[in-house]
Amino acid sequence: MYVRKYFPGNKNDSTMAVLTKKLALRSGNQMVAEGAIKAGCKFFAGYPITPASGIYKGLIDLLPVNDGIAVSSPDEISALAYCVGASMRGFKSMTATSGPGWALMIETVQYALITETPVVICVVQRLGPCTGGATQGGQGDILITEFATSGGFTIPVLYPSTAAECYEMTIEAFNWAEKYRTPVVLLSDKEIGMTTESIDYNALEDIKQVNREVIKHDDPMIDKWKMYGFDSPDMIAKFAEIGGKVKVTATGSAHNAMGNLKKNDPETISTIKHLEDKIQAHKDEMVRVKLDAEADAETLVISFGITARTMKDAVKLARSKGVKVSSLTIHSMFPIPEEAITSAAAECSRVIIAEENLNGQYRTMLAEILKLKEVIGVNSMGYMITPEDILERIMQ
Amino acid sequence: MMQTEEACSYMTFGAVMPFCKGCGHSNILKKLNDAMQMLHLDPMDVCLVTDIGCIGLADALFDKVHTVHTTHGRSTGFATGIAVADKVLAQKKLKTIVLIGDGGSMIGLLHIVNAALMNADVTVIVANNFLFGMTGGQTSSLTPEHFNTITSPFGSMNPSLDICSIADASKAGFIARKTATDKDLTQVIADAIAFGGFSIVEVLELCTEHGTKRNDLKGNMLAKMAEAEGHELGILKNDPLRKEFSLKYHDDVEVHKGEIKPLKFVEPLDNYNINRANGFVIAGSAGERVQSSAGMLSEASIKSGLNVTQKNDNPVTQGSGFSLSEVIISPNEINYTGVSSADYVIVVSENGLKELKGQKIFGRINDKTMFIVDESIDLGKEGLNVLSLPLRKYCGADKAALGAVDYIIRKFEPFPHEIFAGIIAKKFGEYGKIFKEGYYEL
Repeated sequence: MYVRKYFPGNKNDSTMAVLTKKLALRSGNQMVAEGAIKAGCKFFAGYPITPASGIYKGLIDLLPVNDGIAVSSPDEISALAYCVGASMRGFKSMTATSGPGWALMIETVQYALITETPVVICVVQRLGPCTGGATQGGQGDILITEFATSGGFTIPVLYPSTAAECYEMTIEAFNWAEKYRTPVVLLSDKEIGMTTESIDYNALEDIKQVNREVIKHDDPMIDKWKMYGFDSPDMIAKFAEIGGKVKVTATGSAHNAMGNLKKNDPETISTIKHLEDKIQAHKDEMVRVKLDAEADAETLVISFGITARTMKDAVKLARSKGVKVSSLTIHSMFPIPEEAITSAAAECSRVIIAEENLNGQYRTMLAEILKLKEVIGVNSMGYMITPEDILERIMQ
Repeated sequence: MMQTEEACSYMTFGAVMPFCKGCGHSNILKKLNDAMQMLHLDPMDVCLVTDIGCIGLADALFDKVHTVHTTHGRSTGFATGIAVADKVLAQKKLKTIVLIGDGGSMIGLLHIVNAALMNADVTVIVANNFLFGMTGGQTSSLTPEHFNTITSPFGSMNPSLDICSIADASKAGFIARKTATDKDLTQVIADAIAFGGFSIVEVLELCTEHGTKRNDLKGNMLAKMAEAEGHELGILKNDPLRKEFSLKYHDDVEVHKGEIKPLKFVEPLDNYNINRANGFVIAGSAGERVQSSAGMLSEASIKSGLNVTQKNDNPVTQGSGFSLSEVIISPNEINYTGVSSADYVIVVSENGLKELKGQKIFGRINDKTMFIVDESIDLGKEGLNVLSLPLRKYCGADKAALGAVDYIIRKFEPFPHEIFAGIIAKKFGEYGKIFKEGYYEL
């Protein structure tokens, strides 16, 4: 039950064949923009950066005709600050950037996290470090997006690997942001973001929009309501909108459940701790993986993003040579879908983890849960991992 | 500081100011409260956005209005998002007021500049006491020259930034510089808040903990200090002619929304001749329609009912150097988007060839790979299937790649050629006249 398939039917399924196809050529970036509209995004602030600029352009075109607004910001810090402000006012907001822009946004990401303000940040990765290679792909921002907070709070991270999944997971990212009152990172990379591909709109998964619960002044529980209040780890306080009739008290500093700045106060500490607890309490419902299991497989290959597609081809090649191998595509990178991974790997003695970065960033995250397995990394920098690169390790 | 309940409609009744004795902040906040009263604002229509520093403690005092206490310098950025969302997407009632110190106004200068350029309906009050007070009295960018602070013990070396001039250069409509003891401060703050668009009020004051102890100063010397720095006092600008951001936005959208093209979709014909993936690598120079030719190949392929991926590559400068596209067309799902065993390699310029060699193209081919190259190109390798054609001669540099793609569709027909001919005709006119006559005989 932890393993959920994104596409309920394979595209070649007979049940899908009866539908007429509605095809279009779209890039991952364009599909993020369209997904944002479908998710109910009303505000986007953008600053240009390759390879993420397509999302900015997409929403500059789409939002004005969908009752929203996209604005140009003078830098990435402003872009996210505008988004957080608009979200505090009550509107679903998003920005998009790449590694260098993310570096500038980290302060404001933390602000969104501690003020429990829903916002989606799409990070389309490119080669790093620093300004790195603007038109070269990479998967090197996995840890810097996740570990962007002082204190190490979990920032939910979703990672599609096709343009169609960009659409679906953008909606999911907004839903998570709204439901859990948190910043959510939608990870992408140059090869997903800027590559165009054919998409059948009639086969896209219809994901329902989730909207934040807003506190009203006449709420029967208004006397008990607190800006950041909770009775249990899984509780998410109702959101107060600036301009509504319930006073907003937001601060980026350590605060009690009312939002008042308080130091050396047990309530303040528990309010901060709740930022992590609320995500952990919901992590089972945040699992998004695709398992392609083969009976008696000795090897499990794990990947995500653009490399997950390469993995699929490598697994197909290995199977054509009679090798039994399973694969697991991870979409919900954080919180780490630990049970889905351990159960997928349960019968395998070897786990291969393929990712386009220097040292296997996600592999290091899985070291503890896979400690009884032989863990092998397939890594690259500056070029896409090829099916042959992965196949070679499967066949060894 | 006890006040009557009536006099405290926005501030906590009986609030004790957390500031040092004689600090100008207490006066500024009281005047802000009075200004809101003067305007009869509904407290729930006010959002006070406070920055970091002593003045940023104000949010705890104003318990009747919405308060947002932000990161250092960023207050105007958050306020811009709040105000723009309110004015464009909601009831347009909100008054968004930023309280920021001199230190924060420099870190967050670009937020102030951009809010002014946008003419977002935000009022920025800069409480300028010439130094960072909360952290112990360090020099800020608004510290006057020769002013003594703990980090400028011999006097500040730099002149102070004239934030009002910056606001003016940023086309702010309402700009004032006052001192905290000015009798008309309440009125000026009220005018700024009431102003429809961006407004800024810089209020000069003294930090009694760090400023007056190290400098021989009294409150009545503020005007002289400003004068010495060449900073004018008073209402410097009150010009409501520029439209507030949301008004301009709504006008622009109203006028131009018809120009936004609807998304394009294709109903596939399901008419193709291949039963496995075909990989194309197309290489040439920037500005010669390499990627757009690949795009037309992709478009024709989905029209025929095939799946497509098109992966482009170019240097960071989009208009120079090489231009490269890898297109895969397939009746099946396409996973890996790189072409690892090409069916067709098109090379129409030396730039393109150089890049392809860099990307080890000869390791990504098979025995049947067909090279379609301009006659000027020498691949420098034996044993390849090469068709050398006068593409640049017959198609022109800007359509050589297009001609090569068209040639492949014509000769090898992965899908009916008329689909591709139709698509390029839509862009360039009648198919038979897109290229020079000789091309059609190739």
